[in-house]
Amino acid sequence: MLRLTRRLFLLAGCSAPFTVALSAQDLSARLDSANVLHVFAPGLHFLKGKPLERLKDGATVAILGQLTLSLDANVTMATRAVARFALSYDIWEERFSVSRFAATHQETATRSASHLSPEAAETWCLDHLTVDTSVLPSGRQFWIRLELRIEDGREGNQIIGEPGINLTRLIEIFSRPARAQQQRWQLDAGPLHLADLRRSSS
Amino acid sequence: MISNRHRLLARAFLLFYAFRLSAGTPQQPASRLASSVNVNSRYIIEQVQVNGFPASKLNDSLRFKLQKLVGSAYDTEALDDLVHSLRKDLHAKNVTQHLARGSSPEMVKVILEVERRSVALDLSVPKFLYHSKQGWSAQMLASTTVARNHGFIFGLVSDGDELTERFTGIQAAYENLHVGTDRLRFRFAFEDYHQQWNRATTEALSDPTVLSPALRTDAPELYRARRNFQPSLAYAIEPSLVVTAGLSFERLQETLPYLQTEGANAFAAGLQYHQRFADENGGGSTADAAYSIRVANRALGSDYLYTRHHWTAGYIFTRGHHSLSEQMTAGYISGRAPLFERFVLGTSSLLRGWNRYEIDPLGGNRLLHNSLEYRYRMANVFYDTGSLWSRGKVPTLKHSVGVGIRQSIFSLAIAFPVRQGRVDPILMVGMNY
Repeated sequence: MLRLTRRLFLLAGCSAPFTVALSAQDLSARLDSANVLHVFAPGLHFLKGKPLERLKDGATVAILGQLTLSLDANVTMATRAVARFALSYDIWEERFSVSRFAATHQETATRSASHLSPEAAETWCLDHLTVDTSVLPSGRQFWIRLELRIEDGREGNQIIGEPGINLTRLIEIFSRPARAQQQRWQLDAGPLHLADLRRSSS
Repeated sequence: MISNRHRLLARAFLLFYAFRLSAGTPQQPASRLASSVNVNSRYIIEQVQVNGFPASKLNDSLRFKLQKLVGSAYDTEALDDLVHSLRKDLHAKNVTQHLARGSSPEMVKVILEVERRSVALDLSVPKFLYHSKQGWSAQMLASTTVARNHGFIFGLVSDGDELTERFTGIQAAYENLHVGTDRLRFRFAFEDYHQQWNRATTEALSDPTVLSPALRTDAPELYRARRNFQPSLAYAIEPSLVVTAGLSFERLQETLPYLQTEGANAFAAGLQYHQRFADENGGGSTADAAYSIRVANRALGSDYLYTRHHWTAGYIFTRGHHSLSEQMTAGYISGRAPLFERFVLGTSSLLRGWNRYEIDPLGGNRLLHNSLEYRYRMANVFYDTGSLWSRGKVPTLKHSVGVGIRQSIFSLAIAFPVRQGRVDPILMVGMNY
């Protein structure tokens, strides 16, 4: 049983404003024709507050995303996908541009989209954070966890290189807790069955 | 059969090749990647505006970086670098960057907000030098700015390099950096020094045969202390052109047995020009020129009556790792000037390699000097030539050459006088000299 110490209480109090955990109903999933799982979270808005201010000041804001599938209510991980998105805001067109950097050596191309509204940019990021479900045993129920965090400068220097991003370092970043001042979001869904998921062509 | 020697060579080659491979594929910095994906990188920077700090006080390096950004594509990496430099060089609490639309749809404006510390204390060492003939010279300053525009400076100095005398003491100044406008500044400086004289100087003053005809009748006195109060105004006509005007009330306490106090009160004015030019190849040049005049007369209650003119002009041309500089100095004094006003050659910057007391132990009232220096990376070679004389004496041109290394503010140089007979090289080590 977790003992609520004064230190833990203070830590929870300090980090609460920076973590947004939405309810399970906010995270939905679908499968495409290749059995790749896509998530969508209409209630999740990460383009607001300080990141949005930085974007409107001309900065490039990077968001790190991790999508995890588990068979035991997110206790242990069955498979996962990680991605890094770089967003910027066009000062003249007042639209967002987003690029997803290749996370593996097999996937070398950088995908990007521009002229997006804030909501469309958020949706684009989630839609390009996908995970292969082929490792899941058929018929077993599973859980989904989506984690997003705003990258700080030190993390960026660690994970970016040629040809894209360093997958190992990106996973390492998600393996340790976010810094107190770092904005992050976490959404869980489950239990789910693959057979119950909506299927789409792409 | 492959011999051990060949195996070793093959191993060395493989190690070298592996090193080249690892060195040839560096990690791409995060900021570089960020620049390439920022949608605003298609726009041209029309203006970079710095708020919260007077533009006239930005140093050359910052101005150069600002100028370089204007007209180029929006680059977050270059801007991050500039923000970092501003924060560091201005000792700012924070520097935030904003982006705004420019005057046309392809242009943007960058606004940098400098948040200064309410009270910032800076310690600096403007000069630190060891000269093998003159010993140590050092200056240490503590400065702080209060309420943005009020600067206070306090310093300790012991300098045996600049003048005929070694002066040791304190310096203090108050500066108002904004007198109605950022262009106009007020400064009140105070100096209090005690003097040490070289034996050659004291002997020269007591030996009439050494003195020029003009000095035989009206020689300056040795003094053991001098104290100066100097209010002045500086007006920046342009960021590159500043004119100054003020007064200097200098009191000199003579040495034993007289212990009288004499005044060298003067009207002081000057004009300084400084401009840096950048070329497209990353090189550039810097031009400097300055003129100063000090007029001491009875209207200001001065016991010494004289007029001192001083000119300097310099040009530095830089291309890649090569740099060529040309510096010219001239001076002229009419009337009877105190010893601290008289010109000196054989310092750490003028006619390096010569012993100043061999040239003239009392300094001179006419000066002409030229210095040519070539630098490649850290290494530099220089050639100095100049003449120091007094009215009634015949000027003779002297030369010196030297080599050195310079890295950032640190320098080491060995200079040789060009003359017949015994040549004693002079070693100079230090920073900011």
